[in-house]
Amino acid sequence: MTELRELARRLLSEGTVNAVLGWEEGPRGARPAFVTTPDGADRLIFDPRCVHDLASYLSPRRPHLKKLGKVAVVLKPCDARAVAGLIRETQIPRENVVLVGVRCGGVLADPESTAPLSETTVADRCRGCPDREAKLADHVVGTAGAGFPGPSRRAQKIEELAAMPVDRRWDFWQAELSKCVRCHACRQVCPLCFCERCMADKSLPRWIESSPHARGNIAWHITRAMHLAGRCVDCGECERVCPEGIPLGLITRKIAQVVSDRYDFRPSDDPAVPAPVGTYRMDDPQEFIL
Amino acid sequence: MARIGVFVCHCGENIGRTVDCAKVAELCGQVPGVVHSVDYKYMCSDPGQQMVKAAIAEKGLTGVVVAACSPHMHEKTFRRATAGGGLNPFLCEMANVREHCSWIHEDRDAATVKAVDITKTIVEKVKRNVPLSTIRIPVTRRALVIGGGIAGIQAALDIADGGREVILVEKDPSIGGHMSQLSETFPTLDCSQCILTPRMVEVYQHPRIKLYSYSEVESVEGYIGNFKVKIRRKARSIDEDKCNGCGACTKTCPNKKIPSEFDCGLGKRTAIYVPFPQAVPNLPTIDRAKCLLFMNRAKGRPDTCKKCAEACSKEAIDFDQVDRFVTEDVGAIVVATGYQLYTIGKDQAKPNIKGYGEYGYGTIPDVIDGLQFERLASASGPTSGKIQRPSDGKEPKRIVFLQCIGSRDPQKGMDYCSKICCMYVAKHTMLYHHKVHDGQATVFYMDIRAAGKGYDEFSRRAIEEEGARYIRGRVSKMWRDGDVIKIQGFDTLAGEPIEMDADMVVLATAMRPQPGIDSLAQKLSVSYDQHGFINEAHPKLRPVETNTAGVYVAGACQAPRDIPDAVAMASATASKVLGLFANEMLEREPTVARVDESSCAGCFHCERVCAYGAVEHKEIKDRAGNVLRVIAYVNPGVCQGCGTCQATCPSKSVELAGFTDEQIWSEIQALGV
Ligand SMILES: Cc1cc2nc3c(=O)[nH]c(=O)nc-3n(C[C@H](O)[C@H](O)[C@H](O)COP(=O)(O)OP(=O)(O)OC[C@H]3O[C@@H](n4cnc5c(N)ncnc54)[C@H](O)[C@@H]3O)c2cc1C
Ligand code: SF4
Ligand code: SF4
Ligand code: SF4
Ligand code: SF4
Repeated sequence: MTELRELARRLLSEGTVNAVLGWEEGPRGARPAFVTTPDGADRLIFDPRCVHDLASYLSPRRPHLKKLGKVAVVLKPCDARAVAGLIRETQIPRENVVLVGVRCGGVLADPESTAPLSETTVADRCRGCPDREAKLADHVVGTAGAGFPGPSRRAQKIEELAAMPVDRRWDFWQAELSKCVRCHACRQVCPLCFCERCMADKSLPRWIESSPHARGNIAWHITRAMHLAGRCVDCGECERVCPEGIPLGLITRKIAQVVSDRYDFRPSDDPAVPAPVGTYRMDDPQEFIL
Repeated sequence: MARIGVFVCHCGENIGRTVDCAKVAELCGQVPGVVHSVDYKYMCSDPGQQMVKAAIAEKGLTGVVVAACSPHMHEKTFRRATAGGGLNPFLCEMANVREHCSWIHEDRDAATVKAVDITKTIVEKVKRNVPLSTIRIPVTRRALVIGGGIAGIQAALDIADGGREVILVEKDPSIGGHMSQLSETFPTLDCSQCILTPRMVEVYQHPRIKLYSYSEVESVEGYIGNFKVKIRRKARSIDEDKCNGCGACTKTCPNKKIPSEFDCGLGKRTAIYVPFPQAVPNLPTIDRAKCLLFMNRAKGRPDTCKKCAEACSKEAIDFDQVDRFVTEDVGAIVVATGYQLYTIGKDQAKPNIKGYGEYGYGTIPDVIDGLQFERLASASGPTSGKIQRPSDGKEPKRIVFLQCIGSRDPQKGMDYCSKICCMYVAKHTMLYHHKVHDGQATVFYMDIRAAGKGYDEFSRRAIEEEGARYIRGRVSKMWRDGDVIKIQGFDTLAGEPIEMDADMVVLATAMRPQPGIDSLAQKLSVSYDQHGFINEAHPKLRPVETNTAGVYVAGACQAPRDIPDAVAMASATASKVLGLFANEMLEREPTVARVDESSCAGCFHCERVCAYGAVEHKEIKDRAGNVLRVIAYVNPGVCQGCGTCQATCPSKSVELAGFTDEQIWSEIQALGV
């Protein structure tokens, strides 16, 4: 932690950046923090409660960060994949941000929790996560725990769903998605949902019915899944913020699996790896073309 | 308020037989916004078109819907009529009630209901159509021709004779292509070199043709009328301005045992060489992979041999020359990169292509291919035109030709017919007969495909007058026994196995596209088939255009072609190019993509999926010049209106003019689903 604070202080006092974006202690656990003065660096923390993906703040659509000019942002390995996505999709120039990687051995499911990190409290998505530090980062600080072995419960659930007959699977999703209240929190928090105007908000024509009812809900979630195919970095934020507890990770992970199996692409923190959308390879499977 | 006119066509009986056209007109007349609805026997006839024009004026129409055939047939006709009536032509659309309805249904009542539905969807679309105007872009009136075989030569000469400048790029040291290797040519048996070399010289001397030999296209940017082409001029190691082509250098080169590409390995050349005496340009080239000096340099050793430089009185040899790049602006591109022959060896360039284990994978020395036979039969060839077999130089008295080697054989990876082999094998048997009077030529064939002017007569002459023995069937196995080649096959007409001895075997191997065609095609954004042959835009109606506007294709790079075909295609591309160059400005359909600048997120998925490279980056700046956002911009000159970006854009920020989401959506809504 001192290492992180020292680095933040130096970056701010030397004027390398105008702000450092990290986590601080809040009234209800860890929360995102903007530090703009060298002294403020002492507010910064990093521990397993720091689950939020701060890459979301880098999207050019977030006006508060834009005003600050050059910033540093603290990243877990999964967050770094999101930053790589933003660079890959021309949202931020790499030279406009300083990336501070923190070594990570997994985070808690809940940022408000006070329980120690353990086999029972760890976020499910961290099970089997192979990355301990962000390769993309300019600076890497801290020490990491050993991580937790996979498979995640989610992976088991995906297998279970895949084994179901189609109509039962459909029933499962009907039931889950009927809970959706269309608050669009999943979209707002997603680092890669950075569109200036989401097609779900478009009215001429209205592609997706906006009221929370079965037809629009299914259309919304299919669209969201397709738009994140090959792009979702598994930061887990959408599922965490959903007020209805819809298991959104089951959708994004299933699609990620398909993209990985068919197009041999896994989101990495290397922005130079081309995204599967728009990448054509001679040996791409194309049996669906008649 | 929309005031739409609906015009239902009977197309004689074509539509009227199955669809009640009067009923369609009546029901469509009740659709809100439709103020005029009529039917007529032939809408495309002059009186029919007059009806459209008159109604626009009399009823003050704001849109026209013609329910008739496919827009492919008559959209132009009715848009012109609409313009004649004083309305923007893009306010006219066709509802296809023929191909999509009357031709495919039998139940008159149901077909009539469907015709009404189809027409209604288009009415809803036309209500949302907006006037569009043709796009005009400037044209650079110079052409690039890639490949200097007969096809490229012909295209270059025709375009240059038509008054436009041509850049001709040839990857080899000389132009001429495969035709320069041929002995005599079917169906007239005239000497190939004699008819080709005058054209090669003409290319060289033409004031409007700039030849870059030993050069390749490095990159292509831009679009029809406005291409920027970067050309790599490979280091020849010769100063072209100083060399006078005396040939003193080639005589002194000590490395004389290099298999000559021009003679298909049957003759030898030196490391500094001119591929053949009539080469154009007549300049030597150092093959750096084989030159002693460069081989030493590669090993980090000092330069030893400089014999050629010592022999050159013009000091034209330049061992330190490096590849140079030139950029040329052109408005049109002709691809004429030709073919290569399939070889039957074990190792193949592509995994789906297989060699011939049953013929020993090409290891029997007296089994040669057709081009090698051409070199043996050629007066300028390694044997001065005597037919001698490679192993011991003896004259073969029993020669066997095998057709369809690789061709028409899905198992070898090439299911197409190479088209020219039936003809050149017939030619080969004649050339053989003329040179070896007491010899016997035998041909194994699958079918004889001799469709062409004078072709069937030619192949019959080989059989009936020139003593060739034709056996319908395939050879299943071939091996060497002493100095004879044992052949085992099956005569399918006699229905029995056949065995024979041969002194030499000539394989009519399949024609394949040139290596590297895929990367060239990708640079040009043109598509190619699974074999690598360049795709034409339409197999019947647009045979020499590609799917990229301004890029044309001629000769054997498009499919197996003989010389008459290749030349005809080349002249066709020249007429297309000259047609394009006839005007200073080019008119394009305005159905191109446009980006909604307010909502574009700048993710550039559209750029990644655009097969034509039409999407550019555009910076949105504030008054002080600070970049606020980078968003997509579609260059209307390049966009082909394919709509891929529209389907891909996650925020639905790019749309085709004339096919907007709103327009398509309203069509779907009109169906009430
Ligand atoms: C054994 C045999 C006998 C034949 N006999 C006859 C006959 O008697 N009569 C007849 O009509 N036809 C005959 N043909 C067919 C004839 O050879 C072809 O029709 C003709 O050569 C096709 O011309 P082309 O210009 O399309 O291709 P090519 O002759 O192959 O020329 C292509 C040129 O493009 C160049 N090139 C390739 N790639 C590139 C690149 N990337 N950049 C720049 N340049 C490039 C090549 O170096 C070459 O010079 C015969 C063919 C064979 C195999
Ligand atoms: S956060 Fe949950 S409830 Fe809100 S839109 Fe997303 S899935 Fe629906
Ligand atoms: S979809 Fe969910 S898990 Fe994936 S990147 Fe967006 S917020 Fe993170
Ligand atoms: S895909 Fe859509 S949002 Fe992305 S750059 Fe293109 S037009 Fe803009
Ligand atoms: S419609 Fe879109 S994808 Fe198609 S050529 Fe135009 S810009 Fe490219």
